[in-house]
Amino acid sequence: MDVDERTTADHVGLREKTITVTVNGDSYQRTVPVRRSLVDFLREDLGLTGSHVGCEQGVCGACTVLLDGEPIRACLMFAVQADGNELTTVEGLASGEELHPIQQAFWDHHGLQCGFCTPGFLLTTYDFLREKHGATEPEIREALSGNLCRCTGYQGIVRSVQAADETWER
Amino acid sequence: MGVKMVGASVRRMEDPRLLRGEAAFVDDIRLPGVLHMAVLRSPHAHARLLSVDVRAARELPGVVDAFSAADLGAEPPGIPFFYNPASFRPAPQYPLATDTVRYVGEGVAVVVAESRHLAEDALELIEVDYEPLEAVVDAYAAIQPGAPVLHENAPDNVAATMVYESGDVEAAFAGADRVISKRLDMQRYTGIPMETRGVVGHRDAVTAEMTIWASTQWPHTMRTVLAGMLAVPARSIRVITPDIGGGFGIKADFYPEDFLVPFAAGRVGRPVKWIEDRNEHFLTIAHSREQIHEVEIALRDDGTILGLRARHITDCGAYQRPLGLVNASLAATSLAGIYRVPALRVEAVCASTNKAPASAYRGAGAPEATFARERLLDIVARELGMDRAELRRKNLLTPEEMPYDTGLVSLEAAVILDSGSFPAAFEQALDMADYAGFAARQQAAREEGRLIGMGICVYHQLTGTGPFEGGSVRVDPTGEVTINSGAAPQGQGTATMLAQIAADELQVPHDTIKVVFGDTGRLAHGMGTYASRNAVMAGTAVVMASTKVREKALALAAHLVEADPSDMVLEDGYAHVKGVPTTRVSWAEIAAAATPGGNRPEGMEPDLESVQYFENMAAPYSYGIHIAEVEVDPDTGVTTVGRYVVVNDAGTIVNPRNAEGQIAGGVAQGLGGALMEELVYGPDGQPQSTSFLDYLIPGSLDVPDVEIGHLETKSPLNPLGVKGMGEGGAIGGHSAVANAVADAIEHLGCTVTRTPLKPATVWELMRSTGAAPAGAGTTA
Ligand code: FES
Ligand code: FES
Repeated sequence: MDVDERTTADHVGLREKTITVTVNGDSYQRTVPVRRSLVDFLREDLGLTGSHVGCEQGVCGACTVLLDGEPIRACLMFAVQADGNELTTVEGLASGEELHPIQQAFWDHHGLQCGFCTPGFLLTTYDFLREKHGATEPEIREALSGNLCRCTGYQGIVRSVQAADETWER
Repeated sequence: MGVKMVGASVRRMEDPRLLRGEAAFVDDIRLPGVLHMAVLRSPHAHARLLSVDVRAARELPGVVDAFSAADLGAEPPGIPFFYNPASFRPAPQYPLATDTVRYVGEGVAVVVAESRHLAEDALELIEVDYEPLEAVVDAYAAIQPGAPVLHENAPDNVAATMVYESGDVEAAFAGADRVISKRLDMQRYTGIPMETRGVVGHRDAVTAEMTIWASTQWPHTMRTVLAGMLAVPARSIRVITPDIGGGFGIKADFYPEDFLVPFAAGRVGRPVKWIEDRNEHFLTIAHSREQIHEVEIALRDDGTILGLRARHITDCGAYQRPLGLVNASLAATSLAGIYRVPALRVEAVCASTNKAPASAYRGAGAPEATFARERLLDIVARELGMDRAELRRKNLLTPEEMPYDTGLVSLEAAVILDSGSFPAAFEQALDMADYAGFAARQQAAREEGRLIGMGICVYHQLTGTGPFEGGSVRVDPTGEVTINSGAAPQGQGTATMLAQIAADELQVPHDTIKVVFGDTGRLAHGMGTYASRNAVMAGTAVVMASTKVREKALALAAHLVEADPSDMVLEDGYAHVKGVPTTRVSWAEIAAAATPGGNRPEGMEPDLESVQYFENMAAPYSYGIHIAEVEVDPDTGVTTVGRYVVVNDAGTIVNPRNAEGQIAGGVAQGLGGALMEELVYGPDGQPQSTSFLDYLIPGSLDVPDVEIGHLETKSPLNPLGVKGMGEGGAIGGHSAVANAVADAIEHLGCTVTRTPLKPATVWELMRSTGAAPAGAGTTA
């Protein structure tokens, strides 16, 4: 597919660029059309389909990943802008069989239903709790307010974040 | 008798894959050589389609195919209907517009290319000649004489008028002390799942079978409809549902792209994928809820309801797809709720407008009717000078009146309330919310210049609709248990629930059971997941199949240990002789004996599998009481929802945490409908809510914690005693919140008669009475 696309891209004069990124500790070098978004790159070029596309407009947060440790909307960035950077996606949270304490808390406290929004919430929570201990419910709700979930009503998610705050040793 | 999993609040088996990013939603399916489809959509709300020329698009490098309605054959297939009332004047949608476009977003042509980017580039090369026509966007205006006409067979833009009647309505109104009437409107809003729709189709070169992966709630229906439209046998199509990222009813529909993707895959001989983008989603997903209710209620002075008379107009949009008329019908038969209404007449008018086709969304008619009734009851209480809880209490049906035959028939089924303890649930909710103490708190708040309100909503919901659902349970010779279900859930935790049900019958750990949904290649017949039917219909099918498997397993085990089947019991993954736990055989040994050629009793058929269909038209009704407390900012009109109490009765609850998740999630959607969500169209039919920036859904700061009390009045209609409940939160949430806002501001002299109650709307209402300070709110 990559090859086909490069050929056709040439036909219509679409520019391409070779980039190197580190994702979840692994280094990848790929040649991509310059108009490819970072989330499409992760999903289609690297096969990391855990990051989801809910809006492509930077509103829903389903595509949230960490870029050099900071949460970003991968639908709002081009892949070429991530050249030379380090990324963490949902696939990088667990260590082998063992779920990350945040993932475990979401499982234990019914923090997900369809699970489509979940990767974004996990990474947002990761970023939030890394700095914060003993978060209050209003603080948690504030921290999650940039991510949309249509299934849970947020109740289970808030409980999960509260639990992860207790269990995650950081 | 061993482990009992039904009723256990266990964690979901679904979650680990979802948490690890290992799930497979439809967009995650990657087939070698896949092509991408993009659809050219009408920018006009109403226009004659003079010509469509796709030749230039076809020439673009990377484009493999481009086509329009002209390429669909001389008589392109229309999307069929599943509900055809006598008065129906059908206006089916075709996969692509033929000679007229009737809403912005209607498909006109298709490009299939090596990438989605290229396909969208090519759309710009398609030349279309439109002759714009006048559009009509308001349902009330659409049915007035002289309005622009959408379909020739319905010059008055009325697609159907259904009348529902029970009791002597004329006498009820003639004998009433009071008759109160109101027009109450609900806006257009809908499910908006976080995952948009998507379809992948691939024709296998060896078997010539078309495999389709779709984000759909009804795979079997999709297969049947598609086979009809493509004019191929159903056996040559296999529909598989991958993980589904929310649906809420709007994925229980048959959309043009559901045909276009397989059709395109057949034309080009390669896999084709289409993933709806968010903009397309807002333009074309089934819209819902938009109804105008003109309601009249006949009462005695003491508040006793004598009758209801209503007409509602449902805005069905430009075409009716399979369930397009369902909201109108169910709104009519839900109007009386769980109150004693001796006489009722509802006329349900289905209007066509130049907007996206409408259909069922979580609650399907019940939220609309509930809003009309519960808002009206508050208005009535105020006019009678009566306490609104007392008014409701007086008219609630009692357990002694169950089952209660309303005398109505909806969607081919009699509307009979099967069971319930309505007064008990009502009192429990009032207690939990401290209704008795609220008036004093409200008064104290008002003295401080604060506006607080409490809203009550009593609702019921049709659940577990027929005609059937299928389920199979099989045990492999290795002892592993697999359930195949015709359900196609979208996040409800149904795999865990069905495994819990089977675990009780088979006495194996529920989390060792594999549950497979919505694969037409694995189960011949199925209906899918909608109408809160998973527990009732899919659950009962699994009870039936696992009972058969258990009985056969016990007979096999008895044969193996040379005992009588009635002396055998199942425990901990083994069958043993009662009282002699050491004389036992494992499921693997039993299943191995069942394989063809195995050691079976004389005359027993081989294999250990049962395929069962639960056939049932008698649907159970669940119900609930919601009480919301809100505060309205007098300066800005912004509403904040504080406490929120639910008492829910859905019979037996299979998994309480799943049930509570359904309630909390449903309440959030109802709250969204009450306060913020609206699919707005301009007067020219241009949609104005086409992204999450202009269509707001509730975020984590908007939704309160929901306090939940349960009652379990078992349904007599199925062996588990379950009733569905997934939609109830959305039904109760809308009206409880709307009534609470009304309670906060109506003492100022305004009346709430429509939703959403956006800050500007609330502020306008208050200002209309001189209550809001002039100038305040304009900058908020
Ligand atoms: S997909 Fe990136 S924010 Fe929605
Ligand atoms: S769990 Fe479905 S959108 Fe959040």
